[in-house]
Amino acid sequence: MSLDDDLAAWAATVRLPDAEADAMFQRIVRAPVTAAPSPSSPSAAPARLDPSWWRHFSAGFAARMVASNRPVRVAA
Amino acid sequence: MTFGPAMDREAEFRRLYEAHRAAVHAYFTGRTADRQSAADLTQDVFLRAWQRLDTLTDLPDDRQRAWIFTVARNLSVDAHRHQRTQAGTEQALARERAEAPRPASAAVIAAERVAVAGEAIARLPEQQRVTLAMATAGQLTSAEIAAALGVPAGTVRYRLSLARRAVAAALDRYDEPREDQ
Repeated sequence: MSLDDDLAAWAATVRLPDAEADAMFQRIVRAPVTAAPSPSSPSAAPARLDPSWWRHFSAGFAARMVASNRPVRVAA
Repeated sequence: MTFGPAMDREAEFRRLYEAHRAAVHAYFTGRTADRQSAADLTQDVFLRAWQRLDTLTDLPDDRQRAWIFTVARNLSVDAHRHQRTQAGTEQALARERAEAPRPASAAVIAAERVAVAGEAIARLPEQQRVTLAMATAGQLTSAEIAAALGVPAGTVRYRLSLARRAVAAALDRYDEPREDQ
């Protein structure tokens, strides 16, 4: 037997058998996908502010800016 | 990439799994010197690949392999600590087995030569053992091993050469007493 034959025979003893590899595959694909979900999935969509939030924010901000530039009335 | 039906996703993962599972398992065989640990760690790697398949399938093949082996190397760090303790015990047992008297049937001799080769491989420095396992059990080329481990191909060839020489020496020692008989 050559060294290559011996190494090939050893490799055959440590290699994952096909049946075992297939069982492993089935265990993996039955696992739920919890990380990095598809962006097309509704549940995966990043949380966004409602568009009306910006309108309220802008209106409120403008009102505060205007109010802050009015002369202060000194109490008598 | 996004997947439509679940079967498309599974088929894509099957392709990835079949392309890399032997190499990953061989890598862990080299790292842990333990078949069951190698299988468990291989499953962990591909479980992570399954979880991130959407990202992985957008990558070219060489980068998929690089991603998989980065995960494999990270996972093996913890396993490595455990293996160091276990390897000492197994090497002691291997020495005892090597010293046991040998029956002379051809089939038994062939099986014993495999055992002697396996024991010699288990005694190799880890980098040589990983490289040899990936080349033999994983059937990867030196260039593929180099890419997976992030080392130059020349380094891989050097480690392979040293590993083969050590295994050959162990087999020569095994053969010597028989020639005297």
